[in-house]
Amino acid sequence: MIMESRQINRKKALLRVLLYFVVFDICLATLYPYFVMLTTALKSRPEIFAMNGKVFPIKAIWSNFLDIWQKAPMAKYMINSIIIATGSTAIAMVCGIPAAYALARMKFKGQTAFLGFIIVSQMFAPVVLLIGIYKVMQFLKLTNSLLGLIFINAAFNQAFTIWLLRGTFLSISPEMEQAATIDGCNRVQALLRVLLPVAAPGIVTTLIFIFINAWNEYTVALCLISSDTLKPLTVGINIFNGYNMIEWQYLFAASLFAIMPVVILFMSIEKNLTSGLTAGGVKG
Amino acid sequence: MRSKKHSSLQNRAEPYLWILPSVLLMSIFIIVPIGCVFYMAFSKITKAGMVKGFNGIENFAKVLKSRAFGVVLSNTLIWTVVVVVLSTVLGFILALLLNNKFKGRKIARAIIVFPWATTLVIQASAWKFIIDTDYGALNTLLKSLGIISSNVNWTPTPGAFFAWEIACGIFVTIPFVCFTALSGLQSIDQSYYEAATVDGGSYWQQMFHITLPLVKPSLTVATVLNIIYVFNSFPIVWTITKGDPANRTDTLVTYLYKLAFYNGKQGEAAAVSVIGFLILLVCASLYMISTLRKGDE
Repeated sequence: MIMESRQINRKKALLRVLLYFVVFDICLATLYPYFVMLTTALKSRPEIFAMNGKVFPIKAIWSNFLDIWQKAPMAKYMINSIIIATGSTAIAMVCGIPAAYALARMKFKGQTAFLGFIIVSQMFAPVVLLIGIYKVMQFLKLTNSLLGLIFINAAFNQAFTIWLLRGTFLSISPEMEQAATIDGCNRVQALLRVLLPVAAPGIVTTLIFIFINAWNEYTVALCLISSDTLKPLTVGINIFNGYNMIEWQYLFAASLFAIMPVVILFMSIEKNLTSGLTAGGVKG
Repeated sequence: MRSKKHSSLQNRAEPYLWILPSVLLMSIFIIVPIGCVFYMAFSKITKAGMVKGFNGIENFAKVLKSRAFGVVLSNTLIWTVVVVVLSTVLGFILALLLNNKFKGRKIARAIIVFPWATTLVIQASAWKFIIDTDYGALNTLLKSLGIISSNVNWTPTPGAFFAWEIACGIFVTIPFVCFTALSGLQSIDQSYYEAATVDGGSYWQQMFHITLPLVKPSLTVATVLNIIYVFNSFPIVWTITKGDPANRTDTLVTYLYKLAFYNGKQGEAAAVSVIGFLILLVCASLYMISTLRKGDE
């Protein structure tokens, strides 16, 4: 009996070591591209193209991280990214909150059709519709403008916004709002004063998720924006990615600036986001 | 009496007012472009993008006749199926690992979220640099570890390039699957496992009778969304090879982008878009049927 339990313990310990080993290796592999970007961003151009290059830079050239701000309108790109991401989030929320509220709290004809419409809209990625989007933007005189990108990002994130918020609202009992209505609040007041504060965690998750999506968007911006001063970071940094020569050290230094804010934001919402995504699905 | 009637009408109209902004936004920026694309797919369009009347299925005929299209279509299917299947399997396994309690789990979760949060164009640039034959980071790393003595050409053929693009696609998709599966796993009531252990159920029995059925809803959502995303994914292929050489690494979306914005063949590009919808529509209708059926239950 004692022998047996000792064997089981040994097996458990072995499995534990294996678990650590596998997870550790996966983490290393995941970080590898970022490690490459960081070490390359710290090298000089000749060192990158040297015949027998080393993994780590011979001497870290931190000035690469400063040079990019002179060699390209990086500050402009960053401001554009912030404007696009903030604007898209604001519009997506202003349109999405009432829609999610109606879906969660009211019964109306066409409700199923509207949900179906949201689901179908998800399958059209902007890239497949680029030609159509381009035509609409030409008509609205919104090509080569940040406002145009804001509308497109907001529209293509509507499905997620409504999906996540509807799940959040459904998970909150309507009793408090009903009590507020009896006390003389109208629906808008009940939403703003009662439901939204309680739903704040879900709303923040949704906000950040849209912000990140819009920040990371590349394809539509690549197609619609032609002036260098209106480009967001994802498109702008490719100024270092020329046809004949790629300035890898600058490209990766700029990339790290573009990645960092959203990676940190993402870590903060990851847990709520994934449970929100699947909860919306299960409650369908 | 009159005011009551008025208010009931108001009540009936109210939900539509609440969804109106959202409907407007999606109509103008999604539905109208869809209409445009369909209209253009059946129209004759000049190089300058002017629509010159209806020309039936001529755009489709041109697309289907072109030699590149077969390659592009089979690439797209390989790309979608391989990336979705492998990232689902690997992501689920990773979720099972992370569902154990161990020291450093929080750090592991924080690290694994990285590729999900990173914009694809940057992730793809890093991979392009890593696999370069002459100065790539992978060769440098393997040489300094003493595993290889001279540079290896990781991309001797277009197929090899495409395989790397698929690897990159899997790499960036795993976190999404992993975290959706993990949230499904963590919502499973531990008492199921306790009961199964008391009854003498083995690990694999528990896996097939408890874990998989209960995680299935989360995995289904993740898989359907992934099929759509991966099918429509543009930046990875665009950054690493631009679909070259000679369309050998093109997928539908990079192919149609080149048709529309490089070759001035907007009619044909629109036809490719429509073909893409039709393929996805089959997937989406299966999804809708299953979701709506669940709603009726």
